[in-house]
Amino acid sequence: MASAKAWDCSDMSISIIPTLKVLKPVALILGGGFAGLLLGYWVNVTFFPDDAPQQPIDFSHRVHATDFEIPCMYCHVQARRSASAGVPSVNKCVGCHQEVATDRAEIKKLMSFWENKEPIPWIKVHDLPDFVHFPHKRHVAAGLECQTCHGPVETMDRIKRIAPLEMGWCLNCHKEYEVENGLDCWTCHK
Amino acid sequence: MSNIDRRDFLKLVGAGSVGAGAGFMLAESIKHPVEYLIPYAIPPEDFSHGIATWYNSVCSMCPAGCGITVRTREGRAKKIEGNPAHPVNQGRLCALGQAGLQVLYNPDRLTAPMVRTGDRGSGSFEQITWEDGLTRTAERLATLQKNGQGNRVGFLSTGVRGHFASLLELFMGTLGSDRLLHYDFAHPHTLYAANKRFFGEESLPYYDLQNTRFLLSFGADYLGRWISPVHHGLGFGHSRKRQATDRLRTVQVEPRMSISGAAADQWIPAKPGTEGHLALGLAHHIVAEGGYAGDDLENWVAALRPYSVKRVAEQTGVAPDTIARLADAFADTQPSLAIGGGAAGNCSNGVDTLVAVNALNYLVGNLGKRGGLLFNPQPAFGSSSHPRQASYRMLNEFAEDARRGQIEVLIINGANPVFNLPSAAGFEQAMAEIPFIVSLSSFLDETTAMADLILPSHTYLESWGDDSPEPGVGFAVGAISQPVVSPLYNTRAGGDIILGLAQQMGLGEALPWASMEDFLKARWREIYQRGAPAEELNGFESFWRSILQAGVWGEKTQNSASTFTLDPSLVDNIGVEAAVFTGDIDVYPFVLHPYLSNALYDGRGANLPWMQELPDPLTSVVYGSWVEMNPLTAEKLGLSEGDLVKVESPHGEITAPVFVYPSIMPDVIAMPIGQGHEQFGRYAKNRGVNPISILAPLMDPDSGSLAWGGTRVKIEPTGRQAKLLKIGGESRQLGREIIQTTSNRSAANEHAQINSIPISVVSS
Repeated sequence: MASAKAWDCSDMSISIIPTLKVLKPVALILGGGFAGLLLGYWVNVTFFPDDAPQQPIDFSHRVHATDFEIPCMYCHVQARRSASAGVPSVNKCVGCHQEVATDRAEIKKLMSFWENKEPIPWIKVHDLPDFVHFPHKRHVAAGLECQTCHGPVETMDRIKRIAPLEMGWCLNCHKEYEVENGLDCWTCHK
Repeated sequence: MSNIDRRDFLKLVGAGSVGAGAGFMLAESIKHPVEYLIPYAIPPEDFSHGIATWYNSVCSMCPAGCGITVRTREGRAKKIEGNPAHPVNQGRLCALGQAGLQVLYNPDRLTAPMVRTGDRGSGSFEQITWEDGLTRTAERLATLQKNGQGNRVGFLSTGVRGHFASLLELFMGTLGSDRLLHYDFAHPHTLYAANKRFFGEESLPYYDLQNTRFLLSFGADYLGRWISPVHHGLGFGHSRKRQATDRLRTVQVEPRMSISGAAADQWIPAKPGTEGHLALGLAHHIVAEGGYAGDDLENWVAALRPYSVKRVAEQTGVAPDTIARLADAFADTQPSLAIGGGAAGNCSNGVDTLVAVNALNYLVGNLGKRGGLLFNPQPAFGSSSHPRQASYRMLNEFAEDARRGQIEVLIINGANPVFNLPSAAGFEQAMAEIPFIVSLSSFLDETTAMADLILPSHTYLESWGDDSPEPGVGFAVGAISQPVVSPLYNTRAGGDIILGLAQQMGLGEALPWASMEDFLKARWREIYQRGAPAEELNGFESFWRSILQAGVWGEKTQNSASTFTLDPSLVDNIGVEAAVFTGDIDVYPFVLHPYLSNALYDGRGANLPWMQELPDPLTSVVYGSWVEMNPLTAEKLGLSEGDLVKVESPHGEITAPVFVYPSIMPDVIAMPIGQGHEQFGRYAKNRGVNPISILAPLMDPDSGSLAWGGTRVKIEPTGRQAKLLKIGGESRQLGREIIQTTSNRSAANEHAQINSIPISVVSS
């Protein structure tokens, strides 16, 4: 009996092929999607890094600090006096650049900000959350080099964050240098 | 799987693209949000990133005139503190002064000139330019002035002093108008009038709380909102800290315990309006016991004859032996000081009452003496506010003139009479008769809502000015009010608006200054030249900078009235009439005792959230209005806390929840002033009720000021409930011994060497 034979268990074999045939489009979509996800993530992280964002003017620390040997605190005058290092005023940039390198495209950008008496909207690279109290003054007074936290800025054409600026990273240093009250919550969170 | 057909390829590419997009966005989403570092284009000279700059200025939140120092960072005002160098507040500042920041940053500020588009009082306005606004006003004013009708211009300002007051005088004088009025609800008209009658000088003396040993206050809430609370609080603190034998003791006479009453050694509830009788009863006892030895003793004995202790005890409801002991303590503890104010000074016999208080000081020799009452010199410069302060009578006359069509233009500057006058006065209706109303106020309050044109002023933290505090501190003192931040909005300083109007009207000859700052500097140059030796005449700029830096400036002056002689005819006329209360006692059984809110003052603090959420010091209630009544009264009426009651006077009714308050006389109902705004921004609007609105239009006949303590009311339960918002829980101790007390007797024994008045003592 043909029908009886068809139900003969000894002859029954299970193939994965039909199942795969059904799953193939799903697998393609999932696999392709995941690969795309990784690619997109990589593209973003590699080509659009947030630790080195594109600034409104391509200001080079390398040119200023290495080539012309301008000290950090010539422009960031507040670092040793105040909690914030202070980004120089447009006024200060123009102080030199009304004479220096006036033909460069980036300096022309600077001068157009100056003519409109507008501030330059620099993007923050080193940013701490508002609940952290970080005074530059104390760290400079303790004799830390700027490079300890900011990295070799004098070699950078575009400024890049090299430290994570996270709590563990802060505490490691406070531990290492045995900072007085350096591990108290209220030293930084106040 | 090696061969991928077209369909699968499309699937793969599609899924890959979506995945790539998602991956990109995922990476984007876990990044820090972009923040900017915005430098100054040109930084101000005295500016450093991250370092605060402090500017000294003058507080304008109440008329006391404290010096302030404002912390600014990156051009923003961050904190207001008292200026330690200013003699009025010596580094301290009250809550209202601290909340000045919320005047500056208030979201309901008027930000640009506006012209009315809807009905008056509807509050619908449309923005215009400053040129347009000034021209519209100047044209009207110029026409009136040319036709010799300058007097048809009225100016109603909040109380201002110093050179801004002088500028207003000059402007209105040049216009040819004498209708320049200042109006503050709490201005102590009766105190000025009583001092004029008794001392011959219409000014406020200096009350030396710091050096006195016995302070007797008749209704003056000197720690709350009475004339210069921060200075009084300082004096009180100093004299309370002295050694036990020398320590200040205070007695507070008032029908409802204020914060000064709560801080006093003894609180004596006297029937409302009889404080003057009590003062004369004390005087009677002092004179009868031989405590006074002047040449005019006979006159005093005769004048005080009707005020025997027994009779006064009946009139006031204070026990005879309490009066006798209080009088002895007041006479024997030297130096002592009696002060009067609040509701006691604002009944229909207010001036009589305060004259009686002055008499009490005179009899025990407290005048012109350290620890007593010292006379102040004239303001160091500029004008005092008092000569222009509008009493209720003056405002009524002004309103009457408006009704008769004699006022063509009304300029308002910060004053809010629509809120701060009883509805019975009909001021709002009178304003409706004025064809053109301009407001220079910074907020859309009830009065400004009636305006046709708004030319909004800077707040005091953005403008130039100066001030000589009143009451003074015994010597000539002044301070410059300087802008601590750049103006936030398209507003202008009050002085600049006046000068701008003058220029457009062609009054440049009389008012030649380009700005308030120029005017101020010109006047201060005169002050400088008055005092400077001739060779230093070029040093004005450094003088100016140094007073800006110090925030205060003083001048050595002689006390004008250090020798005081009493007008003999005054003694024969001394006496206190019975206070008049509006409302039949059978219909309206309770006396309404309105009091100035500690936080909201006369209502001007109601648009500041910090002040709204500041608990009242005695009831701990926040945000709303309430009706304080004695537990006995509440029981009799079947009321408990939170029951909504209708408080009805012959002139109106308001509804508020009951707060059962043990420290109030059973036939007195107390309500705080300050809430119940219909305009004045989101924080003030539609919150609580305004007890001023139901007050009777009753005057003290001598000073013409509103007798706001003289209204009777009835209480009608509504059957509805409202939860009182308060931070205090149970007001009784319930055996928890949170505050430990000793009995009067043991405390009295302990302090027997100091005096014989029973006092309750809080043990540590």
